[in-house]
Amino acid sequence: MKKSFYILLLTGLCLQGCKKFLDINTDPNNPIDVQESLILAPAELNISDNIHGGNAGIIIQNYVQNIAANQLNPYVGSYQLFNIDMDGDWSNFYVTSLNNLITLNKKAEANNNWNYAAIAKILTAYTLGTATDFWGDIPYSKAFVSGVFTVPYDKQEDIYKSIQSLLTDAIANIDKNSSPKSPTGDDYFYNGNMNAWRKLAWSLKARYYIHLTKAPGYTAKVQAESAIAALKQGMTSNNDDLKFTYSGAAGSENIWYLTFTPVTTYVMNATLIDTLRNRNDPRLPKMIAPATATGLFTGRKIGTPTGDLAKYSYPAAFYGAKASSNYIFNYSEALFIQAEALLITSGYAAAQPVYVNAINSHLSKLGIDTASAAATAYVNRRKLTAGNALQLIMEEKAVANIFNFETYNDWRRTGFPKLQKVDGALIDIPRRLLYPQNEILTNAQPQQTAIQSTKVWWDN
Amino acid sequence: MALSAKSAVSGCFIPLYVVCFLAFFSLSASAQKKAITGTVADSSGMPVIGATVREKGGKAVTTCSADGTFKLTVDEKNSLVISSVGFLTAEVPVGSKTTFAITLASNTSALNAVVVTALGVKREKRNLTFSSQQLNGEELLKTKEPNLVNTLAGKVPGIQITSSSGNAGASSRIVIRGNSSPTGENQALFVIDGVPVDNTETGNISGGAAGSGVNRIADIDPAIIENVNILKGAAATALYGSSGARGVVLITTKNGGVDKKPVFNFSSDASFEHPLLPERQNIYGQGTTGIFYNGEDADKKTSLSWGPLMDTLKVNGQPAPTYDPYDFFRTGITTNNTISASGSTNNSNYFLSYSYFNQKGVMPGNDFKRHSFFAKYNSKIGKYVSTTFQMGYNNSDQERLPEGASNGPLFVLLLQPVSWNPYPVLLPDGSQRGYRYSRNMPLWTLDNISNDSKVNRFLPVFTANITPTSWLTITERLGADIYTESDKYIEHPSPQIGLTGQIRNQNINFRQFNNDLIISATKTFGKFNVNLLVGNNIYTTYSQYMNINGTGLNINDFNNLSSGSTITGTESYTQLRKVGFYSQANIEYNRFLNLSLTGRYDGSSVLNPDKNFYPYGSAAASFIFSEFLGPKASNVINFGKVRLSYATVGNDGVGPYALSTPYVQAGRNTNAGFFQFPFQGQQGFLLTTALGNPTLINERLNEYEAGLEMRFLKDRISFEGSYFSRRSKSGLIPGSQIPPSTGFNSTTINSAEISNKGIELLLSATPVKTKDFSWNVTLNFSKIKNEVLSLAPGVDQLGRLIKGEPYNIFFGNRYKRADNGELLIDAGGLPVVDPQQGIVGDINPDWLAGMDNTFRYKQLSLSFFFDMKKGGDVQNDVESAGFYYGTAKVTATRGQMVVKGISEVDGKPNTVAVDAQTYYQTRQYESTIQDGTYIKLRNVSISYLLPASFVAKTPFKTASLAVAGRNLWIYSPHFTGADPEVSSYGTGNSSQGIYAFSTPTSRSINFSLKFSF
Repeated sequence: MKKSFYILLLTGLCLQGCKKFLDINTDPNNPIDVQESLILAPAELNISDNIHGGNAGIIIQNYVQNIAANQLNPYVGSYQLFNIDMDGDWSNFYVTSLNNLITLNKKAEANNNWNYAAIAKILTAYTLGTATDFWGDIPYSKAFVSGVFTVPYDKQEDIYKSIQSLLTDAIANIDKNSSPKSPTGDDYFYNGNMNAWRKLAWSLKARYYIHLTKAPGYTAKVQAESAIAALKQGMTSNNDDLKFTYSGAAGSENIWYLTFTPVTTYVMNATLIDTLRNRNDPRLPKMIAPATATGLFTGRKIGTPTGDLAKYSYPAAFYGAKASSNYIFNYSEALFIQAEALLITSGYAAAQPVYVNAINSHLSKLGIDTASAAATAYVNRRKLTAGNALQLIMEEKAVANIFNFETYNDWRRTGFPKLQKVDGALIDIPRRLLYPQNEILTNAQPQQTAIQSTKVWWDN
Repeated sequence: MALSAKSAVSGCFIPLYVVCFLAFFSLSASAQKKAITGTVADSSGMPVIGATVREKGGKAVTTCSADGTFKLTVDEKNSLVISSVGFLTAEVPVGSKTTFAITLASNTSALNAVVVTALGVKREKRNLTFSSQQLNGEELLKTKEPNLVNTLAGKVPGIQITSSSGNAGASSRIVIRGNSSPTGENQALFVIDGVPVDNTETGNISGGAAGSGVNRIADIDPAIIENVNILKGAAATALYGSSGARGVVLITTKNGGVDKKPVFNFSSDASFEHPLLPERQNIYGQGTTGIFYNGEDADKKTSLSWGPLMDTLKVNGQPAPTYDPYDFFRTGITTNNTISASGSTNNSNYFLSYSYFNQKGVMPGNDFKRHSFFAKYNSKIGKYVSTTFQMGYNNSDQERLPEGASNGPLFVLLLQPVSWNPYPVLLPDGSQRGYRYSRNMPLWTLDNISNDSKVNRFLPVFTANITPTSWLTITERLGADIYTESDKYIEHPSPQIGLTGQIRNQNINFRQFNNDLIISATKTFGKFNVNLLVGNNIYTTYSQYMNINGTGLNINDFNNLSSGSTITGTESYTQLRKVGFYSQANIEYNRFLNLSLTGRYDGSSVLNPDKNFYPYGSAAASFIFSEFLGPKASNVINFGKVRLSYATVGNDGVGPYALSTPYVQAGRNTNAGFFQFPFQGQQGFLLTTALGNPTLINERLNEYEAGLEMRFLKDRISFEGSYFSRRSKSGLIPGSQIPPSTGFNSTTINSAEISNKGIELLLSATPVKTKDFSWNVTLNFSKIKNEVLSLAPGVDQLGRLIKGEPYNIFFGNRYKRADNGELLIDAGGLPVVDPQQGIVGDINPDWLAGMDNTFRYKQLSLSFFFDMKKGGDVQNDVESAGFYYGTAKVTATRGQMVVKGISEVDGKPNTVAVDAQTYYQTRQYESTIQDGTYIKLRNVSISYLLPASFVAKTPFKTASLAVAGRNLWIYSPHFTGADPEVSSYGTGNSSQGIYAFSTPTSRSINFSLKFSF
């Protein structure tokens, strides 16, 4: 009896000791919790590099014929796309961007750091808006739930409602004027200037109102009026631009500089250069650099034989240098949205002055004197008429929005700027991007059968 | 670490139940007749501990103590029968003597051979209840493979070896009885003299040179190996616990000598290697659509070889010369020199060895050097204790270039147009001269990119055997595996492709400790021979990585971090601990029935702390039916055994820290490289992309095995066959893909099921055996069928794993086919691509086989070894790139071609012609997959042992000369690369079966000289 008691006791002690011995599985390399500022900085870099730039962004720049790879067809420029090509983008959108922003928002709300909560909501809305315009129906309201691996997708219309309510809530958060901790240097975009964030939130509201001018169940007039109302509190100068400024040091090069390094073979597209040249646009030399070998502005036409990289044009230093900024949402765009909205509500004459302001905002950003002869002559040549107003607004918006995927949304919505499908195109110009292979394999949803010609809900 | 070992010992000592069974053993007693004493020694005079001394005709029986002595009381009329594992049984009449000095002769017969089983327990092969195959050190050395893993290739049924590349020092993968873990470790456990050693593939620097590193078993010098025993089934390895579930390679090192006078052995090898290169076309030059691009003028650069026929091409009116891109490679030279000394003194013996291995690879910029020291010292302390202390020290240094379709040389080289002269390397202005854009040129990389990894490794083992009474042995074995590795990747700026240069330094500190305390008791009761064993194991590993990177280099040819514009660093370490309690019972009855039971209870630090202990065990039996055959039948069948076993083994199958979902330091990943935060002065953290799973428990492997062993005609023919069926359950899949909409890319799941069923056959025969001439032949065959039975709820595919399919299929774009299997052809004459991706290949071979022949005539011996793989697809990336770039051999046939198939337009056979360039440039993934069937003449060796009469006139005791050839002939009818056995992206699970731009393997001829004095 006594003996077995000791055996039990010793065995018990032994197992207890072993338990303790094995209790070393706490990760010493990665923290279990961090403060808001540490999440915000990489989340903003990801927005610039991978949501605005990144693989999907570069594909869209091919589609709108701003850039071309010095490669033979077929490639993405001739509309070759596979589901698996989108895997990395969804990882950037959902894993890097949304999951962290949603976590940041919850953390900031719990800590009453309302400025962090507001920025997290605005960037969530921006990421969702970008994603839904690329893919249509996407996961959101039922996503990011611990332990749930099957996630139904929200209808695009519901995503648009979520975007607006996120922006509304973000503005309310800023208006609390209460945030024990508030961003500074960790906010690469605005260095903690909450007024600028507030203007951005209203301007984004306008963007997502105007997107629905042709959406089923929505009217252009109501959408335009909503946009005009939002823009009253929107951006007021180029200083309000949402842009990411890179230092240019090794590892901190501008994302568009990296997009045009020789290894990618990307150069400027002939369609863009020819358009600017044909319009005698004074911005051509400010936006585009001449080919180093020839000194000429030469774009590459997709589908032609490959050529000498040194004989093609690259972006000018304003957009393409190591230390250039990546322009994610321009004040100019806010003005063009206002011009389009006024065109809808009040006609082309009402739109004209705002339209001129919009062009001038871009000219002055590039350092062109808007009072100069070249500038005024250009603006006069590009006057709106009843017949061409929508086309010109969209064409000018596309120039001011270079390297911004918004041009693709405008083309799908309005048909402008006009695009010809490229030589050797495999299909007509795509109306969307494909769903990624990793979602198809691990979270089968009915929407995933979409092909490149399948339109998103608002595209009519 | 010292602290942990101490707390382990205090916390986890042997349970008290040990005491109970020890008591059980002290029950025997003997009648009084006549007391005798004696010693039992082997031919060298060393005591044979534990030898059984039995009174024939009486009942007395005992075993020898640690000094080889015994005491017994016997009848004068009877005789003594002395037996011990590994020795011939001796019989001595008692008579009037009272002291005996008995010498046992070693038993060299294969049947009675002693094999080392789990935990270093020695057993006679005839009594084993599971499949095990032993290879002796000489046999391994004969293959002339520097990597220990490769020396095993093709020799043992049921194991598959895959090299990753022909790089000097490159890693190789060894899988026993098929892949059973979905994405976890599938490679066998390596154990040297009872202590597990690390075989991780290291030398890969995050963000550094692409390609495979070194699997760390390559640090071991094959020359110190006495023998290798492969334990395949779970029943054989259950005592090794979870880490042994995937098979164990037991390595026994050489022991000290028997002569008082030291014996020196010297061997010297030199070998010359010639690269095995993929087929390619070399009749068309650079260009596209038949138009010549000279690769020099800025607008005449292209990566394509769709140019004009070289025969008709004229440059400046002169016929254009052809340049063989493969001239880049060189003849590899390997030298290996080994010296060893062994001997003994009264109570001790020693073995010392040093070798220097130096391989200059076939690829310039690739070298592997290894210094190996090994010392082993056995000594007896007092009456009851014998000890062994051994220490291995290895210093390895591998230099290599990046492999794969990276910025290294191979991608550009294998696709280099034959019209392009790679010299000069630089243009007059000092910049890189290249035939195409966007890539570094091969010769430029030689001077500007390097990846160096240096390892210093210590492998100490201390063993003490305490034998307080003749039937009891207590073994304490403490071993460690400690290495430091310093890696450096240098990449000079390459303005041509927009890279600013980088230096990446990585330091690894690895420590592994293993302690076993084993109590073993052996006793004979009448016709029963019983061995009971209990033990405890403590195992810990610690590994630390420190990385510092400098990017944006400022000073030419100054390979120091300080040249970098941006310098970032990371630190990480991981720790793992396991504790195990085990017991085993081997019961032999009357030399024909064997029963073996094992049980083990393991705890692992990496699992859910509430459920991190798990029990498992095995039961096995064998029946030697030949004991019951009549004398006539025994003449034909001299041995026959059937065996049956069942085992269930738990495994922790996941690395540390998979339970939590932490934040990780953020980084910026661009086409210029990966840059850790801080970024522009801000530190940053993001949630991990791998969701933690706090509920992880052990996975389990259940295996049934049945076997038959037979020997015929006095061992002239022997046969061994096994059938096994294993099934892994609750399989852990770290890195299992989950939808990004969950917010994570992957998690660890705990629900996979994979089955492996197979047969293994081994047949050896000695058709001719005379005094001067003999011929031995060994055939082996194995066939394994595996299937992924389930993954996770609602998940039918995880990358290359698909439910209902074999492990690791190829999945991707394929062609649409008509009902009869023919291709559908579109209106343009091109095959129609199926919009639905599908399965296009399977890497698992149908079967593997090997044939080894040895002929000996007097002093001369010749051996050759063939092995064969039937089936097993390979993804040939070199070929698929060759289609696009116009370098693949098939593209030598150009012009218009009509693709065979059914027209999609009218349902009739296709008649629409298509241009070859268009056809090949639009080939899909399916056409990348090739059948990897091969037959290899892996090894031929001729050796000559100098006659004793001749050697006697020299200072030497023995001397021999040998010439060996490796990979002399490869027949692979469906594969257009050079070596279908290669898996270019290293030893990882998901990258298996891909032949890409890795360093070619080689054919070699080796000369060796050996003598002892």
